[in-house]
Amino acid sequence: MRGFVPFLGHRVFRAVIALWLVSTVVFVVMRLSGDPVPLLLPPDAPRSEFARVRTELGLDRPLIVQYGVFMRSLAHGDFGRSIHFRESALAVVGGYVAATLELGLTSFFLAALVAVPIGLFSAMRRNTMIDHAAMAVALVGQSAPTFFLGILFILLLSLKADLFPTSGRGGWQHLVLPALTLGAFTMASIARLTRSAVLEVLNADYIRTARAKGLSEAWVVAKHTLKNAAIPIVTITGLQFGTLLGGAVVTETVFAWPGIGRLAIQSIYNRDYPVVQCTVFLAAVMFIVINFCIDLIYGLLDPRIRAR
Amino acid sequence: MELTRRDLLKGAAALGAAAAAPATTGRPALAQTTQKKELVVGQGGDVAFFDPHMSTSSNEIRWSFNIFDNLVSRHPDGKLYPGLATEWKLQGQTTWVFKLRQGVKYHNGDPFSSADAKASIERTYDPKNKLRVSTVFLTVDRIEAPDPATLVVHTKKPDPLLPARLAFYGGQIVPKKHLESVGPETFDRKPVGTGPLRFVSWTKDDRLVLEANPTYWGGKPDFDRLVVRPIPELAARVAAVLKGEVDVVTQVPPDQLDRINANASTRAVGALYAGLYVLAVNSKNPPLDNPLVKQALALAIDRDAIVKELWRGRGIVPSGPIAKGDNHFDAGLPPLPYNPKEARERLKKAGYKGEEVVIETTSGYTANDKPMSEAIAAMWKDAGINAKVEVLEYSVRAQKNAQKTFKGLWWSDPTSTLSDPDGMMWRLLSPGGPQDYWRHPRFDELGEAARFSVDEKFREQAYREMTKIFLEHFPWIPIIQPYEDYGLQKYVEWTPNSNQQFEIRRFNFKFRRA
Repeated sequence: MRGFVPFLGHRVFRAVIALWLVSTVVFVVMRLSGDPVPLLLPPDAPRSEFARVRTELGLDRPLIVQYGVFMRSLAHGDFGRSIHFRESALAVVGGYVAATLELGLTSFFLAALVAVPIGLFSAMRRNTMIDHAAMAVALVGQSAPTFFLGILFILLLSLKADLFPTSGRGGWQHLVLPALTLGAFTMASIARLTRSAVLEVLNADYIRTARAKGLSEAWVVAKHTLKNAAIPIVTITGLQFGTLLGGAVVTETVFAWPGIGRLAIQSIYNRDYPVVQCTVFLAAVMFIVINFCIDLIYGLLDPRIRAR
Repeated sequence: MELTRRDLLKGAAALGAAAAAPATTGRPALAQTTQKKELVVGQGGDVAFFDPHMSTSSNEIRWSFNIFDNLVSRHPDGKLYPGLATEWKLQGQTTWVFKLRQGVKYHNGDPFSSADAKASIERTYDPKNKLRVSTVFLTVDRIEAPDPATLVVHTKKPDPLLPARLAFYGGQIVPKKHLESVGPETFDRKPVGTGPLRFVSWTKDDRLVLEANPTYWGGKPDFDRLVVRPIPELAARVAAVLKGEVDVVTQVPPDQLDRINANASTRAVGALYAGLYVLAVNSKNPPLDNPLVKQALALAIDRDAIVKELWRGRGIVPSGPIAKGDNHFDAGLPPLPYNPKEARERLKKAGYKGEEVVIETTSGYTANDKPMSEAIAAMWKDAGINAKVEVLEYSVRAQKNAQKTFKGLWWSDPTSTLSDPDGMMWRLLSPGGPQDYWRHPRFDELGEAARFSVDEKFREQAYREMTKIFLEHFPWIPIIQPYEDYGLQKYVEWTPNSNQQFEIRRFNFKFRRA
């Protein structure tokens, strides 16, 4: 692939800029949001104790100095020590990443594998009952808040129908409800977008030509329709990964799933700056990596992009 | 408008119409005996510390009181019983002598002796240890361990409540030698005590695994293993007990009790909270510096309606600053009255001119804090008070608490740590205390004298008089003494402690066997 190295270099440079911006915003916002010290000490602790802990955590230094220390450490891959857990922030977050990846990737692939065929089928059977039903379900999936869906699934599929455990992490059974909950929005978005992308392609001249050539409908769909509709589908799928990370915050809390979303929320409440910074940084890295992969897939799908 | 989780839960239940019916319909009634060897508990949050002197929060002391023993033990009946100390007596005014249990071993095999007890108590107030229980034993002057079976504690002044202090947080006994050899950080991650439960493993926000101590001096608990699962979402926590995935759930709000009781295999149990839910008052800011205004605020609250509507009857109306169940609780005192007419009179007498009265509430820090704030503000408006509710995030509340910068009123849920007014009203309202926003020379004199008197008759009189002063000045406006409820499988036989201790020792916990 001609020009791949400059392409890669450009992307890495942009990723670094994005990570720097994300880190800086989180650094500033966390410090605007409040002081962790009162949360660490008993309410009857003497004033001197507050000052001592603040000094110990380096929070008595000017903000710009704290920022300098933060950036220097970050460059060394050091996110500092968790204020709440009193161990390395990276080690704390590391303990939660596997659970989030397990849930996030399951939802992601579940969403893609279910939604693309549904969208395709809806488009092929446009304006039939099946199309209306599928799009109605998609509308619910897109508009219902994550934790409402989560609680509904617990009540209906776990408590009432006794199909899955109510919460917690364990075997694959534990994964089903949180993955469905987390994936619902993504699934709905991908299905709707696939439907409209496919409809657009189905009206194109080359599809008419393909049919006129006497190709079988299956071949027309697989070779000509899907491939041409793929670019917007792949784009939305990549972007939806960010939605998944956001949704994980709520889903993990509802289902007592020990992932970074839940850790992030608790760490924000605890004003545990290093853990929040580390979590957001890792989430940004995941998002950037996924989107980079998507860009590579564009190249595979569309030779015109590869040539540019 | 902000939707609470409970509102949405109700919505969810209504939408999934079937789910509103008792959940186990269609499933055979589950057995009410069990052969289980594992106890699973679902609680509202995870543990952060295992060092028992690092925490006073209920999600942590539930387990630290079981991994460790105290010298003295407060049972669910509210009385003090022998723990690692078999007997104790006061010699003179300031010397307490404790006889210690012999032959007790820590989970690592080390023997327990008076040196551990001495080091444990001394550790709490040594500033270099930076512990969160540093104020519990401030009355202690010095401690001696003359022989392995005797501990002598000298207090600075007479301290009638020393055994009670030893029975609550701060009083857990840690192994001196082991702690010195591994250091506090390792000890906090791998705790070693003498209690009925031994630490096995902890996966943050997923599960804590403990096992029964087979050689526990009080008898091995009635199970082999205990698993604690943090389940923060109420709907998921309640569903877990209804479905039988967990044996016990904590922090069950009143509106979930019917579901648990209607389910064939579960039941709800509760204990009257050892403490009160109060609106604490910044009596320095006008118009709250005027006692007549505070009296009017107290009179204008229909507490019966709050108990009935918001708590479904799971609470009682307080009569003053002393919780029911505590020493010197005056059973003859009537519940705080509701009299809006009299409230208006007192406002007029106070010359109240419509100054703003702000409740700074949290949402979910204590159960029902925000709904109660809204109800109370409406009651106050009816009585002609310009009431306003402002919602704070929990950490902002913590900050205001530490800096003493509340504008008007805020929620506090003081726990009676010693089953005595000294451990609640005086701990919080004394000069320099965490809620020092109001001073009254006579109140201060009595509080100090009662703390250091071993004459219970005198103390009784002192607390009566302090209650009288309190009810004139209202440094707190008490609202409710609620029940704290749990959901259990019917095969679990267990009585909750009112002070949030989770007592699973042999005398208080067993599985009903076939």
